[in-house]
Amino acid sequence: MKKGLLFGLLAAAVAFGAGAYFGRSTKQDVVISSSTSGASYGGGFKAEGDNAQASKTAATSDVLRSVAGPAPTNVVMVKDGESIQAAVKAAPAGTIIRVMPGTYHETVYIDKDDIRIIGVIEEGRRAVLDGQKKLNDAILYSGNNFVVENLEIRGYKGNGVMGQAGNNFEIRNNIITDSGVYGIFPQLGQNGIVEYNIVSGIADAAIYIGMSDNIHVAHNEVFDSVAGIEVENCRHVIVEHNYVHNNTGGLLAFVTPGLPIKTTVDVIFRNNFVVGNNHVNFGAPGSTVSGIPAGTGMLVMAADDVVIEGNIVSDHKTAGIIITDHAHAQNITADPESDPNSDRVKILDNVMLKNGYDMIPEVRAVLLSEAKGGGAIDIVRVGPSPGSCIINRHQYVTAGLGDFADCDFTNTAGISTYLLPSVPPRKIDPADRGKVAYLGICSGCHIYNGRMIGPPVQVIQALYLDNPQGLADYIAKPVKKRSDYPEMPPQDYLDPQTRIELAKNMHDLNN
Amino acid sequence: MMGFRWLQPLFGCALLLSSGTVWAADGKARFTPCVACHGSQGEGNTALGAPAIAGQDAAYVQRQLQHFRAGRRGAHQSDTFGAQMRAAGATTLKDDAAVTAVAAYVAALPKTQRAAPVKGDLRNGNNLYHGKCGACHGGHAEGNPALNAPRLAGLDAVYIRRQFSHFRDGVRGTDPKDVPGRQMAMMARTLPTERDLDDVIAFIHQQGRPQ
Repeated sequence: MKKGLLFGLLAAAVAFGAGAYFGRSTKQDVVISSSTSGASYGGGFKAEGDNAQASKTAATSDVLRSVAGPAPTNVVMVKDGESIQAAVKAAPAGTIIRVMPGTYHETVYIDKDDIRIIGVIEEGRRAVLDGQKKLNDAILYSGNNFVVENLEIRGYKGNGVMGQAGNNFEIRNNIITDSGVYGIFPQLGQNGIVEYNIVSGIADAAIYIGMSDNIHVAHNEVFDSVAGIEVENCRHVIVEHNYVHNNTGGLLAFVTPGLPIKTTVDVIFRNNFVVGNNHVNFGAPGSTVSGIPAGTGMLVMAADDVVIEGNIVSDHKTAGIIITDHAHAQNITADPESDPNSDRVKILDNVMLKNGYDMIPEVRAVLLSEAKGGGAIDIVRVGPSPGSCIINRHQYVTAGLGDFADCDFTNTAGISTYLLPSVPPRKIDPADRGKVAYLGICSGCHIYNGRMIGPPVQVIQALYLDNPQGLADYIAKPVKKRSDYPEMPPQDYLDPQTRIELAKNMHDLNN
Repeated sequence: MMGFRWLQPLFGCALLLSSGTVWAADGKARFTPCVACHGSQGEGNTALGAPAIAGQDAAYVQRQLQHFRAGRRGAHQSDTFGAQMRAAGATTLKDDAAVTAVAAYVAALPKTQRAAPVKGDLRNGNNLYHGKCGACHGGHAEGNPALNAPRLAGLDAVYIRRQFSHFRDGVRGTDPKDVPGRQMAMMARTLPTERDLDDVIAFIHQQGRPQ
């Protein structure tokens, strides 16, 4: 089935490529640009108000390594055999909780500001959170200025570390293995750092940046997962210096339709090792990520202003980079409020080799349609991508890039970070808590009219069409009803009033 | 003329329904009157507007039979085939025990897959099916009793299209007591076009078949 659908995409590519080629009167002249000189990309983020000057300083001097503010002075210790959650409950806002090596079987919820959970590593031994395939989440935080470091997390069914609308977060130096659908998943946060983590064996995205702004993802190793690093419905994100290997797809910039935030804008993928992402796709059939063809180095779908620079992209059997739109993507249903196209993609210098070697006839036909032969393809574009550009296009085997202009910049050296000094907490009106709970929690797995992880919101609305209390009760104590969907985790940490407000909010959604 | 010709087998069906075999003690005997339309294996008959029911979830069959008996289904003037089924049910399934026995018998019949597959845009059908249908009817249209959703694989395109239209257009799934029907009616109104429905049916027809 998947192969057949991929054929559909590629057949469209043939038609598109043929049109692009035959629509051009002559081959474009070779334009050679040096990425060690020339103009820098200006970026798409302009800080406002008090953050403007601080952001400018950070961007030019690269001094911003922390966003969580000054370290708290109150410190408590958790020893093997004790409870991290109990320590969090007892701690006042503004506490460092040091966790000694040992094994902890628990889910830790952090709903206070300025909490830092710092594992103590002794001669390589870490504090291990082991879900034993019984627990859903290891760390769930909704507090601001949250830091989690040095943990080993394994055996959870849902998430390793999940953020729910917390700003100014730092997720650093954790080892996360075989822990459900998302390894590290900050959702609806602003100003966050995800760095020096090793994440593997994740059934959706090893690192999933969801509906967030001003995020820095660097120096992580992600492997053996369906998606390596996924930036979805976000703005102003830099993903750099990561080692991304043996996933189904390496780096992804998406607009997932049906989410409440409708855009992905201004993402920089630079200086990453993206190698051998040919893992068989083990995403839940029918889910969004299950549509990623194995052997995809990078995938840009409906995201705007994605800059791809300085990456080593090698050994991908399908293609090094795929740029597509919603219309040609698998397991995607259209969202009238989302622009379906990948606008203004910018491909600067990258090292690309051994991509597209497992060429099926349709791919070869795409190449032939542009009078290109050989047994490789580095970059494929399917669907409209207005305003896009590339430098040194002659270096790559490409298809569908005929209307890409030559970029008027060659590098992103002028942008070191999109991080800001600490930003204020998200303002939550008590009247909006149902909406915020939906945005911060539910939309991590549910989209309005499609299947991401859980069933679509439209279906949930139908099932509980005049019974919001039934939905509020269900989310507190879910019962597995679908054999081909992951088990929903209980949301019983939400108080009854929030649950009913959440249910009413979901009932009233129309996109 | 054509209309009269296709009605002839239905008269035969009605005659069978009114025969004394209806009141046999076991489900097989109670199913006998149904054979004229639904086939001896429950494989359905598109020409007669009778869906394939073999292997369908017992609770679903039971619920629909009760709906026919109670007038919650088959009472709308636009539902001609439903009216026939309602009349047949009134004649043959006069108590809950009869309904239960027939439903159990139908559910135990081996599933059939005889509907001719229709063509469509399978990628679009796949995307829409998983986006709107699969969460209840299952990833392979196998049905899900836990969600009161019947098996769709094996149903002929004409029947699926007709029932879908009934849900969408207020012919079926309007009675307050038919909660699953109301749920389906709500979803039916979210599919954008008839072309999309064709594509979804084409996808459904790929399910449960040897690839």
